[in-house]
Amino acid sequence: MVHITIDGKEIQVPEGTTVLRAAEQADIHIPTLCDHPALTPFGGCRLCLVDVKGARTLQTSCTLPATDNMVVTTDNERIREARKFVLTLLFSERNHFCPYCQVSGGDCELQNAAYEQDMTHWPLQPNWNKYDLDASHEYFILEQDRCILCRRCVRACGELIGNFTLGVEERGADSSIVADLGVPLGESTCISCGACVQVCPTGALIDKKSAYLGHEVQLDKTESICIGCSLGCGIDIYSRDNRLVRIEGNWDASVNHGVLCKVGRYLPHEAENWDRIYTPMVRKDGKLKAATWEDAINAVADQLKQSSRTAAMASTRLPAESLYLFKQLFGDKLQADTVTSIEEGANTKLAAQLAADLGSPFEGSLSELEKADCVLVLGADLVEDHEVASFFIKRNVPHGTRVISAGCAENAIADIADVVLKPSGDNYDNLIQALSAALADKPVTALAKAAGVDEAAVKEAARILAAANFPAIVYGEALLKNASLNTLKALVELGHLSGAIGEQRNALVSVKGKANSMAAAQYGLEQAMEISDEQAVFIALGDDCPSQKLIKRLENVPFIAVQASYSSQLTAHANVVLPVTDWTEQEGSYLNLDGRLQTAVQPIAAPEGVLTNAAVLEKLAAALGYHLDAAGWKDELLKRVPVAIITE
Amino acid sequence: MNYRSMVLVSGDPRSMERGAREIYDQFQREINALELENEVSLAWMQDVGRSDAVPLAVVYPEATIYGPLKLEDVHTIVEEHLYKGRIAPGLQAPVRELSGHIAWISARQGTLPAEQRIILKRAGLIDPTSIEDYIADDGYQALANILANMQPKEVIDQIKASGLRGRGGAGFPTGLKWQFVASTPGEQKYVICNADESEPGTFKDRVLIEGDPHAIVEAMAIAAYAVGADEGYFYVRGEYLLAQKRLRLAIQQAEEMGLLGEDILGSGFNFKLHVHSGAGAYICGEETALIESLEGKRGEPRARPPYPTTNGLWGKPTLVNNVETLANIPPIMLNGADWYRGYGTEKSPGTKVCTILGNVNVTGLIEVPMGITLREIISIYGKGMAHGAHFKMAQTGGSSGSVIPSTLQDTPMDFESYQENGVSLGSGALLICDENNCALDLAIVLMNFFRKESCGKCNPCRIGTERAYQILKNIAEGVGTMQDLEDLKFLSKNLIELSNCGLGTTAGTPLENILQYFMPEVEAHIKLKVCPTGVCPMSGKKAYPKTKLVQLEQA
Amino acid sequence: MTPDNMNVLEVVRGVVEEHGGKAEELIPILNDVNRTIGYLPKEALEEIGRLVKTPKSKVSSVATFYTMMTTKPRGRHVIQFCESAPCHVAGGREVWLAIQDQLGLEDGETSEDGKWTLITASCLGLCGVGPIMLVDEDMYGNVTPSQVPEILARYS
Repeated sequence: MVHITIDGKEIQVPEGTTVLRAAEQADIHIPTLCDHPALTPFGGCRLCLVDVKGARTLQTSCTLPATDNMVVTTDNERIREARKFVLTLLFSERNHFCPYCQVSGGDCELQNAAYEQDMTHWPLQPNWNKYDLDASHEYFILEQDRCILCRRCVRACGELIGNFTLGVEERGADSSIVADLGVPLGESTCISCGACVQVCPTGALIDKKSAYLGHEVQLDKTESICIGCSLGCGIDIYSRDNRLVRIEGNWDASVNHGVLCKVGRYLPHEAENWDRIYTPMVRKDGKLKAATWEDAINAVADQLKQSSRTAAMASTRLPAESLYLFKQLFGDKLQADTVTSIEEGANTKLAAQLAADLGSPFEGSLSELEKADCVLVLGADLVEDHEVASFFIKRNVPHGTRVISAGCAENAIADIADVVLKPSGDNYDNLIQALSAALADKPVTALAKAAGVDEAAVKEAARILAAANFPAIVYGEALLKNASLNTLKALVELGHLSGAIGEQRNALVSVKGKANSMAAAQYGLEQAMEISDEQAVFIALGDDCPSQKLIKRLENVPFIAVQASYSSQLTAHANVVLPVTDWTEQEGSYLNLDGRLQTAVQPIAAPEGVLTNAAVLEKLAAALGYHLDAAGWKDELLKRVPVAIITE
Repeated sequence: MNYRSMVLVSGDPRSMERGAREIYDQFQREINALELENEVSLAWMQDVGRSDAVPLAVVYPEATIYGPLKLEDVHTIVEEHLYKGRIAPGLQAPVRELSGHIAWISARQGTLPAEQRIILKRAGLIDPTSIEDYIADDGYQALANILANMQPKEVIDQIKASGLRGRGGAGFPTGLKWQFVASTPGEQKYVICNADESEPGTFKDRVLIEGDPHAIVEAMAIAAYAVGADEGYFYVRGEYLLAQKRLRLAIQQAEEMGLLGEDILGSGFNFKLHVHSGAGAYICGEETALIESLEGKRGEPRARPPYPTTNGLWGKPTLVNNVETLANIPPIMLNGADWYRGYGTEKSPGTKVCTILGNVNVTGLIEVPMGITLREIISIYGKGMAHGAHFKMAQTGGSSGSVIPSTLQDTPMDFESYQENGVSLGSGALLICDENNCALDLAIVLMNFFRKESCGKCNPCRIGTERAYQILKNIAEGVGTMQDLEDLKFLSKNLIELSNCGLGTTAGTPLENILQYFMPEVEAHIKLKVCPTGVCPMSGKKAYPKTKLVQLEQA
Repeated sequence: MTPDNMNVLEVVRGVVEEHGGKAEELIPILNDVNRTIGYLPKEALEEIGRLVKTPKSKVSSVATFYTMMTTKPRGRHVIQFCESAPCHVAGGREVWLAIQDQLGLEDGETSEDGKWTLITASCLGLCGVGPIMLVDEDMYGNVTPSQVPEILARYS
């Protein structure tokens, strides 16, 4: 520990802590611009300068490591002059037209810093050079006039996401933020994660959708989780007048630490273009007609009572509480022939089986991925379906993390992989065994051949795994497709052999499917749906989009009832449509891919006449004469042996 | 012997083929015949890169090149040039594109008073592509002695005792720096030779490397042994292609002789040297920016602390020394710390290689003891101001050095005395200006240099140099205001105080000096809209270089 | 001067191989490619990034930082004129004006016929013989304005 005195306050901090962080700990405010708690210190803006006893010049507190007996002053005449100088220069460098800027008036860190220093005007005039505006990107604008070259965006794109689209070109006064080799953002390698927009201190990077919809103080902020996939990233939902304005990553969230992908940050806005269902509908004379809740519910109940075969399917975007009700109703009470989730266990069934056999969880934590120095990705397209997980890998590659990509389909992770393996026939059994054999110094040739991969590549992959201190293994749907229990057992063994699973850590993770994939698994909603001559099918779709495949499968079903938020081919085809809340209009629990139980908090009030998924199921149960238990959802969730330890 | 002139005859193989021996003898005869042997010295010289004009003779101090010579030309040269004091007509070598050699043609053997050649002992006189030449002059003796008889700590102690200070501009005690690196724990350490010489007015490192590369190679090996490194880099600026070539050859030769590589001279000490080229960035002369560049990145200085001595190349303890600093190492280790202290002053021992440039009669490279004054340098070596003009101002230490008025001409040139007077010695480049040079114009040229070379990382420098440049241009074009002077003072003061590295700091220094010592001249541009020396664009001359400035409305 | 696409990639691959394909050798690689082709075309930057596994933005960021590298094509002959203080004080302004007069180019411009590119440079380390001008790799020292036409006439 190191003892340091700041403004007379004596504090102790771990060695390596910067003076800025030490000051924060002591509740002492030092203004900053280029610094950001999630990024490595830059030391370029010179706003955080402090006076260190014994040092000839002022030092940047964001980069200065605290040393024993250091005495620091954070505010005196000299420092205030320095801050005014820095801000004066910044305003004179480019064209800061505050009156037209959406962040002016409280959301601009540059402006706020100037006000904090009691500045009232610019002592130095700018030279009014022309700077570019890049509006080519779908979701945000880069306005160079407002850029202060703090490089937060460049650092975020590289350090947090690992995409390295943004960079700085030229030097000195010609320095400029640029994408790739100097192309418009809309034509660049940008993956629209929006991290740069979130960290930008000024209005240089502006979110198109939410621009001018209100300052932060005018918006309502709800801390919640994203339900775009099974990761459950922590988000801050900004809304106003019951409308979604903007979604940002929650820096304090343990899953994602503030980063989001396109799916979580921008895709939710797409819903504004979709047709919302506001009233129950029942098909009469071949046409869907508006009906009362009572009529609609009764229509479904009647059909369910008389059907000889029923199938029920719930979207894994539904909260656990709703899934629990769904399972009770269709499983326990109605004893339908198929009670399952939209994933039909593709992502979870086999693993659940193994966990049951073993009597204990066998998967580890996603957070291990962040520290891994070698990642083996098997049959999972992280970039496509669980993009934030891919950030954890991509951003560590420059620090030496090795990547082995084993997948059948073309995969963006393969681009950065050291070894790429493509097992033939969508079958991973032989590949896994080949890797294990290589790790155990056993013969590899036959297994490699059977897997359809190059023997040297397998050996190289094994060598890299063996050399790693913190290896991690991630697997997904493509591996599970043609897998058997033995495949998973072999995978667990590979985990042990490689060191991914050890005494102190477990870094074997399967990405599962959508938001509540794991909860559905815990509730046993994993059957494959048989619909050869079903007479009634109930889909608790929620705000999910039905796949073309599902729609086709249900083509000839005589009776379909759907509870959904948005119109689709499925609802158009259905016999009864029950309107439900979408993800922003409901509250509920979600179990993420490595067992973290989180709560999605409701930011928006539901439209009039629309019910929650839970309420609809309860109404339906009542109409059928059943009483459903609501409170026991958690106990039921914890009953089955989970594949990963469940934590709250 | 105080000679007033010197004749150097080219003695390379090609010259010898064409009768250089006879020519040399003829010079001797002619000089003796006119009884000039006590006034004119005669010596041999190696390859000067004018193979088109050999055999040739160079006459100093005018540095006139005569060639290709025929035997009968010798008489004319001696009579006209050496006796009558005027250039012998029709015998000068034709104007031609220079090869890289030309820069060190002025590195002649010391014949002038007070010049003492330690570092430049061999440059210009030996064949730099011959390791045998170097060895014949006690080359690699120091290294051999150290490896056989001395512990690393003893080496460092000797360097500390010598009082040697960094010659790249900062003047940091070398022995202390070596000790910092040596005492930092770590398996892997590096030594780096900073040969990114980009300071305007400075070409001493080029001369040293092109003329005596083995001296630096040996010094690096000694440094590595002392601090515990086994790998070293020469970071040579990209434009110095010949220097890079000479270094690579020297390293190869040393390796072939077992003086580099594994188990040097059977001592168990391993040392591998690489030559790494820069790519055109003055900022890469800054230690940490250099290291960033070596790592394949933009040359942007790191935040310090931590310093390279603990956290340098690839995060390992790294020693970075300037070429000239290193050139002092073998002589100090050969002759001892006391011998070295015999030169220079108490606090700044040793010699300094200075370049005299500007409006003096003779420009070039000299090696002088620390403590000599500027007036002495101008009168003795520069042979006085050119065209009988008067000394007005000088910039000491390259473009990042101080601009001093004539009142500081008698201040001893050592680190302490200069610091006491608020000026810096820097790299030793001396730019002498006379009354025909405009102080404001000089400020513009200097600020232009800094704004173009600024890396752009920190605000004070990136924006400050650009702003100051534009304000200065305004004044030079006759649209400056008194407020501009306040702005310039504001900018220069804060540039010095708040920049991330030396570039920003030293961008402010000359501006501050000019505003301090030449305020009336600058004010004349504003108040009278006149350039007293007639240099600035307001006087009707074309602006240089072209400005992108937009004319501002006057308040 | 637009080099054939195929040649660019070949040059790049050769240079990268010479430097062992290491990412930390990025600057020497860019330097050598620039010297061979005359500048760094986009295809070259992309290929270099691909071969040494460095993101495009980083390659571009480094290439545009250093003055010895350029991403824009240059004329057949490149004139670099030192504009630093020592050369300036030695009479650099007049020489610069003479060059400008003769070529009619501003700093950074290439002539219409593609023959000349004129750029100013920072100190080239030849200060003892200033004013200095470099034409391609030929160095001219102690240049006077009257010598400018003679020097330029040597290049076709």
